[in-house]
Amino acid sequence: MSNEEKTNESVTKKDIRKAAIRYMFMACNTFNYENQQGPAVVYGLSKVLRKVYKKDEDYKASLNNHFNYFNTTTWMANLLLGASVAMEEKDGIKSKDAVQAFKTGMMGPLAGVGDTLVWVLYPTIMGSIAGYMGLQGNPTGAIIWLLLNVFFFFFRVKLFDIGHTSGLKLITALGDKLNVFTEAASIMGLTVIGALIPSVVKMTIPIEFKTGKVSLPIQTDILDKIMPALLPAILTFVVYKLIASKKFSVTQIIFMVIGLALVCSFFGILGV
Amino acid sequence: MEIIQGILIIALAFWMVLDQQGFVITTWFPAIIGMIAGIIMGDVPTAMIIAGTFQLMALGVANIGGSSVPNYGLATLVGIYVAIRTTHDVSHAKAIALAVGVPVGMLGIQLDVLGKLLNSYVSHAAQKALNQGKFKKMERIFWLGPLIFGLTTALPTALCVLFGDKLVRLILDFVPKWFTDGLSIAGSMLPVVGIALLLQFMPVKKYLTMLLIGFVVSAYFKLPILGIAILGFAFAYYYFTQNIKKAPATAGATEAISEGDDFDE
Repeated sequence: MSNEEKTNESVTKKDIRKAAIRYMFMACNTFNYENQQGPAVVYGLSKVLRKVYKKDEDYKASLNNHFNYFNTTTWMANLLLGASVAMEEKDGIKSKDAVQAFKTGMMGPLAGVGDTLVWVLYPTIMGSIAGYMGLQGNPTGAIIWLLLNVFFFFFRVKLFDIGHTSGLKLITALGDKLNVFTEAASIMGLTVIGALIPSVVKMTIPIEFKTGKVSLPIQTDILDKIMPALLPAILTFVVYKLIASKKFSVTQIIFMVIGLALVCSFFGILGV
Repeated sequence: MEIIQGILIIALAFWMVLDQQGFVITTWFPAIIGMIAGIIMGDVPTAMIIAGTFQLMALGVANIGGSSVPNYGLATLVGIYVAIRTTHDVSHAKAIALAVGVPVGMLGIQLDVLGKLLNSYVSHAAQKALNQGKFKKMERIFWLGPLIFGLTTALPTALCVLFGDKLVRLILDFVPKWFTDGLSIAGSMLPVVGIALLLQFMPVKKYLTMLLIGFVVSAYFKLPILGIAILGFAFAYYYFTQNIKKAPATAGATEAISEGDDFDE
């Protein structure tokens, strides 16, 4: 794998692809509270930077620089790291401070956009489709999700390459467009979330009022007449306010919901 | 056969955290993990019903910026394993999966924190090796990171595989019906936490309209979720095409003007 390290050759496409895959594998797998993704960046770039720096001292200095705190959406980091490699190839160890400034300067904005797209909207839309199909025992949604992930995997390898070839200018220009994209994605996300409330949160009251011979089922004749999915809508509002108040942790709220369900089940207020 | 299934489930537990934090292909999202676990256990429909329940609970629970969240993938995996081992009745299986999975998923938070603490030492050791010029050693030290994270999910799964079904079968004999019913009800109510959590991240006040449209179309018109996603995409596409022109982009300026004329036709 590495007998050719010391020879004088420049960085190839293959090296870039390898660095991308190395970083993508390690990404958050050495995550710690001190330098977060720093070690993963070092692992990812260690091979390709060895080709850039022939002198051990320069190599050490460069990697020590990459050990510094780094944290952004890992999908977006590929762009940044690709561009970083390009900078170091061009100016060598002199670029050290510029690389550091570029990485820390861009990781915040890219994480803002990237986390919304990658960790909120994408799993929400795919998760609600796959989860909803799953409830009926149907794996189709999950398969589509898996295939999309495979597609994005290659796309991310490509992002590293794009970062490497087009560098800083593109990344800063992209930032503005991504904002519009995030807003648009939020619109789609909220439409889906609005639909999730009545379709996945289920509560039914099995109690019936009985006066003489006439019985009045509360759920179908009263609540559903006011508004379908009235109880889920109220519950969503209450839990939303509880979380927003920040008085309880999410774990506590989960156990509160479980407790409420058990109590209501015991008294027969809620049915399966 | 049972031993092979157990080993594969533990291996999947080890892999899923590495993939979630790295390649993001199989992820640890319940729907995909549940499907794979279903294939391993030879009962995809039951596994998908359990996975679907956990997937909806997990919506909006995002591990952003290194925060630790309940591991619903782990919950799904041990839930499916123990449920399919213990019962063949689907609604029963769901209650068992919830009873086993939720606590284990919550334990996942603590183990994740522990893994991140331990990785500080990995980082230090690797940097030390670098400065001593031992580059090969540095490479090897990095591999401790994935090993630690893999164990944070593989260990609890192994415990559930070894003892879970026996323990659950023992407990189920004593548990009254209202309790298992209550867990099923909780399973149908818990998605609310994920949804409410998600709404905290999103610009709800700005786009309340979209939330209401989604609600009405689903609650009154019963449109399936995929149809609503397309509707949402339609709004998003309109917003995007209208606003991308205003975004400061040098190249798109002339294009936007010529495009404007086309709308009159």
